[in-house]
Amino acid sequence: MLQVRNASVFFSARDGRVVHALDRASLDIDANSIVVALGASGCGKSTLLNAIAGFLPLSEGSITLDGQPVGSPGADRGVVFQKDTLLPWSSVADNVALGLRFAGVPARERRERAEELLGLVGLESFADAFPHELSGGMRQRVGIARALATDPKILLMDEPFGALDSLTREQMQELLIDVWARTGKRIFFITHSIEEALFLGTTVVVMSPRPGRIVARFDLDFVRRFAAERDVRAILSAPEFAELYDEIRSLVHRPHAETDTPRKVLQ
Amino acid sequence: MTDFARPGDSVVEPLNRPKIVRLHPFGLDGARTGPISLATAVLLLAAWFLVTHYRLVPPLFLPTPQEVATQFLAIVEDGYAGATLWEHVSASLFRIFSAAVIAASLGIPLGLAMGLNRWAKGVFDTPIEFYWPLPPLAYLPLMIIWLGIGEVSKIVLLTLAMFAPVCLSAQAGVRALPIERVNAALSLGAGRWQLFRAIVLPSALPEILTGLRIGIGVGWSTLVAAELIAATRGIGFMIMSASHFLATDVVFVGIGIIAAFAFAFSYGMRLLEAWLVPWKGKS
Ligand SMILES: Nc1ncnc2c1ncn2[C@@H]1O[C@H](COP(=O)(O)OP(=O)(O)O)[C@@H](O)[C@H]1O
Ligand SMILES: [Mg+2]
Repeated sequence: MLQVRNASVFFSARDGRVVHALDRASLDIDANSIVVALGASGCGKSTLLNAIAGFLPLSEGSITLDGQPVGSPGADRGVVFQKDTLLPWSSVADNVALGLRFAGVPARERRERAEELLGLVGLESFADAFPHELSGGMRQRVGIARALATDPKILLMDEPFGALDSLTREQMQELLIDVWARTGKRIFFITHSIEEALFLGTTVVVMSPRPGRIVARFDLDFVRRFAAERDVRAILSAPEFAELYDEIRSLVHRPHAETDTPRKVLQ
Repeated sequence: MTDFARPGDSVVEPLNRPKIVRLHPFGLDGARTGPISLATAVLLLAAWFLVTHYRLVPPLFLPTPQEVATQFLAIVEDGYAGATLWEHVSASLFRIFSAAVIAASLGIPLGLAMGLNRWAKGVFDTPIEFYWPLPPLAYLPLMIIWLGIGEVSKIVLLTLAMFAPVCLSAQAGVRALPIERVNAALSLGAGRWQLFRAIVLPSALPEILTGLRIGIGVGWSTLVAAELIAATRGIGFMIMSASHFLATDVVFVGIGIIAAFAFAFSYGMRLLEAWLVPWKGKS
């Protein structure tokens, strides 16, 4: 289990003032769950993810993975970025196998594992292509395969589909659910799309800015329903979906309290 | 468009090729300049021929193209100042290449270190920023006083001239490295050396090659200065020595040889770039 406890982050802004980017955030990410952080930009989502990934130390609080405090970045936490970070000089297969290369896995085994993972994301015939020959959606799939290659304990995804067109985005969401259902990885996923959050999350935490806070938490079962029945329309047209959509919408758009109102935590 | 489209999927049969259009360009945008350049070269040659043919300029200042060509053949056959043309060329090539190898093997690691390490940057920034704008002719006397008049002072002078562009470009290569790429590698378990080897070095490679190309160009343009130092061989020496005897045609031959080599090397470096960093400019 990944546990975030009272995590706070303060940055210094350019004018010397202090930015309170994350305020006492607490979060559990259990096995087999997809926790989605939802909020407008600037509410500390990336800050939280970067702290979990180990790119950023916390000002206060703690983060533990299976009881061990997380330190510097490592292969136990796979990261998928919004902007693809594939190496332009390596083939798709070599990109997927990069983490295995770092771990000293022999070349033949790397290749086999890369092909297996490319199969998982539907790109088996592109092993020898180069990143610049792929579309944005395909590159993100390579990014997912690469993050899975080292068999991490958790997958961290920072608006991975944010730069994609909405049609590709829907395909990618379904692909991610397939990957999750097959690998059972726990996932921490960031988005500013309410629909994406509802569709993907077993848990959705809503965040609000200045200071970045978790203001609400919802446990959902749409994604499990989809994994079992594979009927998108049934889910999107379910009355619960619409109700939750409205509820979260009003939370996200609520003029955030400048006064220090106690945090409203639902469910 | 499907997600699976590969480049080249929808190539049309050449027989019923439709009219191909494209957006109106601005600026050059890859327009072909080759024929224009060639025409310019032909015109310049013609102008040279006419100017000398009608004696508009005294032959001492500007020899005719024929004279230069004859002189070139004479030098090819008989050599110049007691050495064959090949001995002059190889003396210059040896100096330039020794200097390039030294400049690259010092400049690339130091530039990378300066891009990565506060101490390296702090210590070496001041001396490099101080010396590199100086014209090599300015420190040429020091080279002679300190290192004598043998090969060493010539090669050190060329090395100094080439070192700065190589070192600065390696630094720029590290600076251009996106932090996301570093973070991605770290979260894939890269150690420090692996990060350097698999991410930093290849990311900086395009800039490094550009720096080498500029460095070798600077080397050619410093060659004459280096061979001012008591040389008896070399294309730069040939030019300087000929100028003492007002042998303008030999000066022209020397200039032509340097230009041809410099051009060939620059072109070779471009080919090397296309081969080593084919991804440059893509994604
Ligand atoms: N390195 C930084 N230095 C200063 N301020 C930062 C830095 N990174 C983020 N911030 C600020 O922290 C807040 C939260 O940022 P971020 O976590 O990126 O938000 P989100 O990902 O939700 O859009 C923003 O106000 C942002 O301007
Ligand atoms: Mg963000």
